[in-house]
Amino acid sequence: MTVLEPAPAEELTRLRAENAALRAQMQHRDDELEVATRMLQARAQTMTSVIDAVTEQSIIGTDVDGVVRVWNPGAERMLGLPRADVVRTRSITDFHLPEELAEAGGGLAALVGTAQEQGSDVRDWTYVAADGTELTVSVAVTPRTDDRGVQAGWNFVGTDMTEARATERMKDQFVSLISHELRTPLTSILGYLELLLDDPELTDEQRQYLGTVERNAQRLLRLVGDLLFTAQVDAGRFTLQPEDVDLATVVRAAEETARVVAGATGVEVSVDVPDGGLVVHGDAVRLGQACDNLVSNAVKFTPTGGRVTLALRAAWRTPEGGVVEAPQDGAVPVARLAVSDTGIGIPAGEQSQLFARFFRASTARRHAVPGVGLGLAITRAIAAAHDGTLEVSSVEGEGTTFTLTLPV
Amino acid sequence: MPTAAPRVLVADDEDDIRALVGLAVRRAGCTVATQVADGTQALIAARTDPPDLAVLDVSMPGATGLEVCTALRADPATAAVPVLLLSAGATPEDVARGLAAGADAYLAKPFSVAGLVARVRELTAGATP
Repeated sequence: MTVLEPAPAEELTRLRAENAALRAQMQHRDDELEVATRMLQARAQTMTSVIDAVTEQSIIGTDVDGVVRVWNPGAERMLGLPRADVVRTRSITDFHLPEELAEAGGGLAALVGTAQEQGSDVRDWTYVAADGTELTVSVAVTPRTDDRGVQAGWNFVGTDMTEARATERMKDQFVSLISHELRTPLTSILGYLELLLDDPELTDEQRQYLGTVERNAQRLLRLVGDLLFTAQVDAGRFTLQPEDVDLATVVRAAEETARVVAGATGVEVSVDVPDGGLVVHGDAVRLGQACDNLVSNAVKFTPTGGRVTLALRAAWRTPEGGVVEAPQDGAVPVARLAVSDTGIGIPAGEQSQLFARFFRASTARRHAVPGVGLGLAITRAIAAAHDGTLEVSSVEGEGTTFTLTLPV
Repeated sequence: MPTAAPRVLVADDEDDIRALVGLAVRRAGCTVATQVADGTQALIAARTDPPDLAVLDVSMPGATGLEVCTALRADPATAAVPVLLLSAGATPEDVARGLAAGADAYLAKPFSVAGLVARVRELTAGATP
């Protein structure tokens, strides 16, 4: 038989101290837990209030099968159904136009396929609201994971683009209508002018008047072309017909085109291009248009007695984006055309706006230089479509240099 | 016996342009067999009396120049009639659409009269009277 002996007094003291320490630790953990719980609640509350505050965009969260779990006020407003009628009972696919979904492969897979592969996807889809209204919605799809990093479902953030897309379509239709309606009378004007100018019995004075009519009709035609081209760039319908193009030939042709006006206004134009030419891969017509724009601008903004220089050089673009005149490690070859003039220049504060459509520098307006402010926007769009750049440096009263850099 | 000039069908809903095209056709040494202002009339005229060349505006009431061109190509009686399309659409896509419809040539408006005369001569060069 074992007899329990009373613990010595010091052992009791030790056990009491340990007990107290454990209790204190428990209390501390309790406090920590409470703080963490409050923080989590606050975070969840913040998240919910942020999602609930979004009323102009639909935020729809689903589980992996597409069943709706999150439905914000934006979704309620866009699709006309309260949260209670949707969460856990409806699928995201219920709100898509069935034909469009079927055409894309059908079911949830059609909606999330790209996001599954690439991590996210943004495209236009047609949502169908509770009252049957069809909406063009730009939907951003991303996968949602749980706290262990396991995929828990999908997020669909939608912006109603119905009005914006309709406006774009109207603008497109308007531009092509205007283009057609202006080109048709211009065809008659220019065609009959051509017939008249063929008449050998015209006096010099008559020929001069008809020449003025023709020059202005051509100016109108260029404006129509520029407007149509700008609309195509906007609509993303600007395509290139790429081929090997000798930029030296293009630059010489631009100089020839500008020579008549330059001669008449007393501006000297000089061309400095590599003897063997410099070939880039691009659209010959568009590159010609870009060079014509730069050269005719330079001539237009240079007063009598001034000088315009066109210098084409092979150069190299460094990985940092700088352009150097000699090859170096990691740098890729480019063609660099600098069009410099000794013209009226552009105020420093206006140079950043220079490539915006319809922008005209105050110096241009002050000197009454004709133009509508489309040429540089178009030229930069052409440069960008060729993965190139267009830069400007200018000093008011001294002159301007535009530098077009294109990959070779 | 003199050789008859090639006969050209001209279709454009704009009176002034139809007249201008007629002038160019005559400068090219051809005659204007028929001139009409809409696509349906153009198709009827071409089927009734196949011309040596059809100059069609793309944007016309009734049937577009592209539709007329496609219909002409599909009919054995008119499949060989050369077609020259005129259009205010000047983008590469517009031209591609015209050629895909079976046109032999495509001129964007505004066209030069001299250029039109040259195309008409070229397209009627093989015409047999």
